[in-house]
Amino acid sequence: MSTPSPSRRSVLRATAGLVLTGTALTAAAACGNADQGPDELEAPLAAARADAALATVAGQVFPDLTARVTPVAQARRAHADALAAEVRRARPDRADAVDAPVTPPRPPASSAAAASALRTSLVAARDAGSDLAVRTARYRSGLMASVAAACAGYAEVLG
Amino acid sequence: MAGPLDDSDTRNAVQAALGAEHAAVWSCGLASAYLAPGDQGTLSESALAHRERRDSLVALCEAGEVAPVAAAAAYATPRPVNDAASAAALLVVAEDDCAVAWRAVLERTDDAGLRKSGVAAVVSSATVGVRWRQVSGTQPVVPTFPGTR
Repeated sequence: MSTPSPSRRSVLRATAGLVLTGTALTAAAACGNADQGPDELEAPLAAARADAALATVAGQVFPDLTARVTPVAQARRAHADALAAEVRRARPDRADAVDAPVTPPRPPASSAAAASALRTSLVAARDAGSDLAVRTARYRSGLMASVAAACAGYAEVLG
Repeated sequence: MAGPLDDSDTRNAVQAALGAEHAAVWSCGLASAYLAPGDQGTLSESALAHRERRDSLVALCEAGEVAPVAAAAAYATPRPVNDAASAAALLVVAEDDCAVAWRAVLERTDDAGLRKSGVAAVVSSATVGVRWRQVSGTQPVVPTFPGTR
């Protein structure tokens, strides 16, 4: 993968900001990705973390759901770990976004509402992941298709 | 114009996916003799999807002037198939093989049509795989990373 060299303007901007923000900006400037915006995997990463958190809460609050949602929590945590590892590797400048804490979800009102909310979220992850797997780089396509497929499977389990 | 099969790496992955689809079509045929009536609808839908994917791969090969791999007359099943559970276990193997083969295609092509087929194949494998895993008693009912060995 080629790393574009930073333009003179972005170097100047980085130098000016260095005083204020310290090491985080050094990493961004060194990498030359500061102007690229978020990595495309950050959205599926956030979705995986949110699903894991929701499945965990649902399993704790509603014992009748525990057996069905515990594997979902485990799988979505594994997805988040794999996606985070790829973003960290490809975009060290996005470490702060990757390491941002997840807001714990409010427990849904009922067991049925929890299962339905989780299923809806998994279907959305299946569809968004499938789209991304079609247009992303080759080496990311397999991972995205795999994540989308697991979400499809768990949506089926909760359906 | 460059075709999706010009690269030998892509071509080999496509042929492997075609081989997996041939085996899946055959496995669906065998399983239909053993699965419960309530699962026959899911099975025939899945069999149709595999035949369609097989046919589109054959068409892709022919368009690229590549000889498509042929189906075997019969396949050796990993375990004897003699009831609904063992038939479903065969389908789990067939679906997992398709997911692995198609995932490999995805990582070897930029062709949007081939990518769409591949993503749909991996997703479909994990979706229908839930039922076959339940019938065969395979855990977990969803692999964490479908398409990975």
